[in-house]
Amino acid sequence: MSAAERRRLRELARGPFFAWTALCGLLIATVALAYVPLGPGNIVVSLLIATLKAAIIAFVFMGLRAASGLVRLAAVVGWVFLFFLIFLASTDFLTRT
Amino acid sequence: MMPAVLREPWMDIERQREAATFAMWLFIATEILFFGGVFTAYGVYRTLHSAEFLAGARETTIAYGAVNTAVLLTSSFFMAIGAKAARAGMAAVAGNSFLMTAGLGVLFLIVKGFEYRDDIARHLVPDPSFALQGDGAEIFWTFYWVTTLIHALHLLIGIGAVLRLYTRRHSETWLKESAAPEVTGLYWHFVDIVWIFLFPLLYLAGRT
Repeated sequence: MSAAERRRLRELARGPFFAWTALCGLLIATVALAYVPLGPGNIVVSLLIATLKAAIIAFVFMGLRAASGLVRLAAVVGWVFLFFLIFLASTDFLTRT
Repeated sequence: MMPAVLREPWMDIERQREAATFAMWLFIATEILFFGGVFTAYGVYRTLHSAEFLAGARETTIAYGAVNTAVLLTSSFFMAIGAKAARAGMAAVAGNSFLMTAGLGVLFLIVKGFEYRDDIARHLVPDPSFALQGDGAEIFWTFYWVTTLIHALHLLIGIGAVLRLYTRRHSETWLKESAAPEVTGLYWHFVDIVWIFLFPLLYLAGRT
């Protein structure tokens, strides 16, 4: 590999490398926080961290940062309908006495 | 001789790539709803059988889950490098990255295999010899087996797709122009995201 190629590789790998470092940090944080008693807060914290990890993967690894409007719309639509599913199911199960 | 990259009905390679990316995201949207339905059912049962459900969740082995999360995150890192390198015409880097990605996928399945062996030895399969008491624990372990097996099946398909990219590592033109490296990457990263949500639901629940 020539010096120029190595420099190109470094440039190309910089974004994914920072994303990977952040993901590993979040993994350590979520495991540690699982042992801290927060009551119902534990599941909330662990799902928030999971969502943050998914967002890093979507924006950096899956290239949503630079994607066209059409692709962004397709990427978001599944999550929107998943929200409706969970929200409507919760109106029953989370409000029972 | 590699087949031509541009296919009907597209007039140019850029539009073909855009269509392939769009189609993969639509497929991922259906997958989000598929896994989302299972996760919603998990939430309902966890609410209805809270104590027994979490007692069941405490029996998963957190070390296997955490190691496998790290393995998958790292595989996604290599997949991202591979797809970018393919686009940039760096065929050797792309080939090596694809091989690392597939290798880490196989490592995940090997670790999962050891975990399954332990789970079976500890009678954590919901059958007449199930080790725990209560419907909630049994329902949790049904979720564990169903979701991890479906995830492993997705990963197996992903390994096949990434190895296909690896077999084409010598054709710089194909790597540059085909939508396959990017689209395979999208699928791979999505399977990683599914695991990122499975990890807190199956391994971190009920630890306090």
